[in-house]
Amino acid sequence: MAAAGGEQQQMLTQRLKAAVHYTVGCLCQEVEEDKDVQFSKQSIAAISEITFRQCEIFARDLEMFARHAKRTTVTTEDVKLLARRSNSLLKYITQKSEELASSNMEQKEKKKKKSSAAKGERTPGEQEAAVTENEDSNMA
Amino acid sequence: MEERGGGAGGFRKDTVDRLLRLHFRDGRTRVSADAQLLMAELLKVFVREAAARAARQAQAEDLNKVDIEQLEKVLPQLLLDF
Repeated sequence: MAAAGGEQQQMLTQRLKAAVHYTVGCLCQEVEEDKDVQFSKQSIAAISEITFRQCEIFARDLEMFARHAKRTTVTTEDVKLLARRSNSLLKYITQKSEELASSNMEQKEKKKKKSSAAKGERTPGEQEAAVTENEDSNMA
Repeated sequence: MEERGGGAGGFRKDTVDRLLRLHFRDGRTRVSADAQLLMAELLKVFVREAAARAARQAQAEDLNKVDIEQLEKVLPQLLLDF
């Protein structure tokens, strides 16, 4: 049983590594076009591996930060704390987090209007959209 | 900048969630939806920063191909900044 679990864990790790590698490939391509350079395959693989390992540090830190605040759920505050070392990075992340918060507020207001306005008059398409929105916010 | 989270050239929310959960020590730890999106953004910045710094290093050496050597040179400072 334990061996099977370990194998499954390894499979998941492989899949996640592949996903990271793919995304890193896309992002490097953008940089290639931007800066007019080429990345060797090995360097892209190396960036993927670095990113994957950095995730471990990020995850442990986030968990500790959340626990330090007596929470079990990692929030945007913890992510901001992760970006504390570089001023410009912190500024960028804070700005992004504010954008996220304000777009959430908008969505909530829209939902309120939708539910308070025409309840019976919703088209099936709209209803579906509302359902997926709900699922999204439940992902937390 | 591009739209937040998934889509072209960025990490998907779900991928980020699984990546983080893989390393959590406590099984009860969760990540809020906003935090997932923000982490996706942070990881994107990390990757772009690594790529851009390596590219700059290559250009400083008058090369137009980035190899592991250039990446190795910028790695220590990159890890200090994150």
